[in-house]
Amino acid sequence: MKIGLYFCTCGTNITATVDSDKAIAELTAQFPASYAAKVEFICSAEGKSFFKEHLLANRPDRVVVAACSPREYENTFMQILAEAGINPYYLQVVNIREQVAWVTPDRAQATRKATTALRSAMARVGKQLPLEKKELDANGDVLVVGAGPAGLQAALFLAEAGRKVVLVEKSPAIGGMPVLYEELFPTMECGPCLLEPFEEQVLHGDYAHNIELLLLSELQSVTGFYGNFNATIRQAPRFVGHTCIGCGMCVEACPATASNEFNCGMNEKKAIAMPFLGALPNLPYIDPKACLRGRGDSCQLCLDACPMPGTVELDDKERIIERKVGAIVLAIGSKLYDCGKVKGLGYGEVPGVYTSLEFERLASANGPTAGEIQTPAGSAPGTVAIVHCVGSLDAKHQPHCSGICCEYAFKFNRVLEHKLPGTKVYHLYKELVVAGKSDFSMLEHAQKNPHATFIRYRDLAEIKVAAAPGGQKITYRREDGKNDSFTAEMVVLCPAMVGGEDAVKLGEMMDLSRGGAGFFDELNGRLHSSQSKVKGIFVAGTCQAPMDIGQATSRAMASAGYVLSGLAAGKKLVIEPISATVDEERCSGCRICSGVCPYKAIGFIPETETSRVNALLCHGCGTCVAACPAGAIQGNHFTNDQILAEIEAILQ
Amino acid sequence: MTTLETPNSESFEPKIVGFLCNWCSYAGADKAGASQTPYPPNVSVVRVMCSGRVDPQFVLDAFHQGADGVMILACHPGDCHYKEGNYRAVQRHRILLRLLEQFGIEKERCNFDYVSAGEGEKFVRVITEMVSTIKGLGPLKLTASAA
Repeated sequence: MKIGLYFCTCGTNITATVDSDKAIAELTAQFPASYAAKVEFICSAEGKSFFKEHLLANRPDRVVVAACSPREYENTFMQILAEAGINPYYLQVVNIREQVAWVTPDRAQATRKATTALRSAMARVGKQLPLEKKELDANGDVLVVGAGPAGLQAALFLAEAGRKVVLVEKSPAIGGMPVLYEELFPTMECGPCLLEPFEEQVLHGDYAHNIELLLLSELQSVTGFYGNFNATIRQAPRFVGHTCIGCGMCVEACPATASNEFNCGMNEKKAIAMPFLGALPNLPYIDPKACLRGRGDSCQLCLDACPMPGTVELDDKERIIERKVGAIVLAIGSKLYDCGKVKGLGYGEVPGVYTSLEFERLASANGPTAGEIQTPAGSAPGTVAIVHCVGSLDAKHQPHCSGICCEYAFKFNRVLEHKLPGTKVYHLYKELVVAGKSDFSMLEHAQKNPHATFIRYRDLAEIKVAAAPGGQKITYRREDGKNDSFTAEMVVLCPAMVGGEDAVKLGEMMDLSRGGAGFFDELNGRLHSSQSKVKGIFVAGTCQAPMDIGQATSRAMASAGYVLSGLAAGKKLVIEPISATVDEERCSGCRICSGVCPYKAIGFIPETETSRVNALLCHGCGTCVAACPAGAIQGNHFTNDQILAEIEAILQ
Repeated sequence: MTTLETPNSESFEPKIVGFLCNWCSYAGADKAGASQTPYPPNVSVVRVMCSGRVDPQFVLDAFHQGADGVMILACHPGDCHYKEGNYRAVQRHRILLRLLEQFGIEKERCNFDYVSAGEGEKFVRVITEMVSTIKGLGPLKLTASAA
């Protein structure tokens, strides 16, 4: 085998300590079919052109370059090989500058070390196989799950770039949680005012034709991989068609009622109802669990009341919808930590104790009390206790800080000051967190409220809320260790944000890992904070971590950006050749490999009972290769053969 | 040279095979080079993409072929370019040490350490210490049955 050894002297950087002639003489004697050429600076324009011409003239079977670290120019040299018509994977670059010449002052020692390194590379390179990058067609369409601010932003961003988006939302309306909030921090702008125009763009904007909105829909299964996913979506019947004019006559006629989930169960809704006032799309839906027909009744009062024939479709059925997409953006939101788990706070037991979400609805004009903040007795509270850090920063519950709770707690302070001037507000907190360029103003404003009191408590477990005459008695231990108490007519709890049930379900469906609080893990929280650990599945918003609307929509745009650059129009997906392959003849199907793969790149073929690596998902780390007890996995470009040849030559 | 040599070890130059992960430890070795800090020349580097690729078979083979020591250098916990390959590597190393003891190979001859891409100085230190340790142990003599 003819190995071309190109020895870069790097000026005198290498040859100052490494005797190149001695090394070359020894190596060419050991590999007689080989030749050697010295170059002064192989990285220079002249050096590269010499390298290419020399390769073309000598047509070696393999190439070894003795130079600086392969981390510098390996790719460049590979390109030159390709230009010279030689497979670029027929190359070894030997680092005799950083790892030999510069660190070994003794000339004899340096020459010996360089010769050993070159000998092992020449032994290894002979075993190297020609590899090729493969290309794969990819689908540019995107599935976005969740139509809150993050999901809407991702969908719009992609639609504006001309991508087809399938937007799947579980509820009958879009806008997510913040559209239910009267005001948003830190600017105190109204939630619907901010979000409704945004929702309108998704529904009727210039790029709405690129968005297929599937409401009352849930993802049922996902197969395939980056570039080529198959998604199955189950859409529940709405029983109301798009010819609806939103007049509400059906709602008036409906005789059945049920608990209203959009108001956290604090009032009732009709079985056919608008999700909430102002909900978009402006369409009622029938809750089949509440509808009399679900109990065998033949009621059709809604249909009879509807002025638009054919709009109420009482025989509407569930649909199974299949879509092919190249990428998936998960923007499914989060949930509040269950306050019932914090014993002593009285949630669910003592009337007048609310979660922050319930308070948002009490303060909303389209909420259960039309925006009147009322105690269960129907009167305005004279004193409101806001308990921060409920289940947060607490080893017994959730160790993390949810980041946004302080801000909305101060927002509640302002809402109370505005709606019920003179109301006393107690902030009981463990820590106050208000980072950011405009967020501190929320705290400042709350502190300026002359009726606000800030109390730092020691331990949430020491706060007791009990029903008392005139409201709830709140007992707590102060920072100085003394017990104290006061009475409030209303208690608002600010719970930790945690991953929701859908994250569990979708996580299992798509093999996505989740952290302790149930949030999706990112590929890397600093550099790839919108990529999940599964290639082609992106995460945005509070399903990945607690965050505010601005952060959530930014992550959504980042997700969209990944899709637009990774699945750019006309671009094929490149399968890197440095990946693992399973020899199915030798595979026993033990699946140890898939257990150690950090990228879920190894699947199991039930027909043959063997494992198979998806080269598109494989990053080429080789962990599975080392783990396979049958030696059935080959790590391309780092095969056992190649590495063992290298070791043997080192120790010759 | 900064090697802490004992009088008896002067004539013995150990052969050590060092498996370095591409992203951290190999880059750490390059940092040592860029700062031109001298260290003993006894470690020959085998570059692998990830320390998780280091098959225990490679280590056994190195000893079988005459290595006096083997080093596996990985990314620090949490830094692995491939997320968790270094955890696999450390697990395998622990098991491997038990096996090496069965062969009568001192556990000091198979060293596992973490060197980040920024730790040129640490790279020099671990190499220097390893060479010194192996010089202290002397050449590896495998019995016929173990070899």
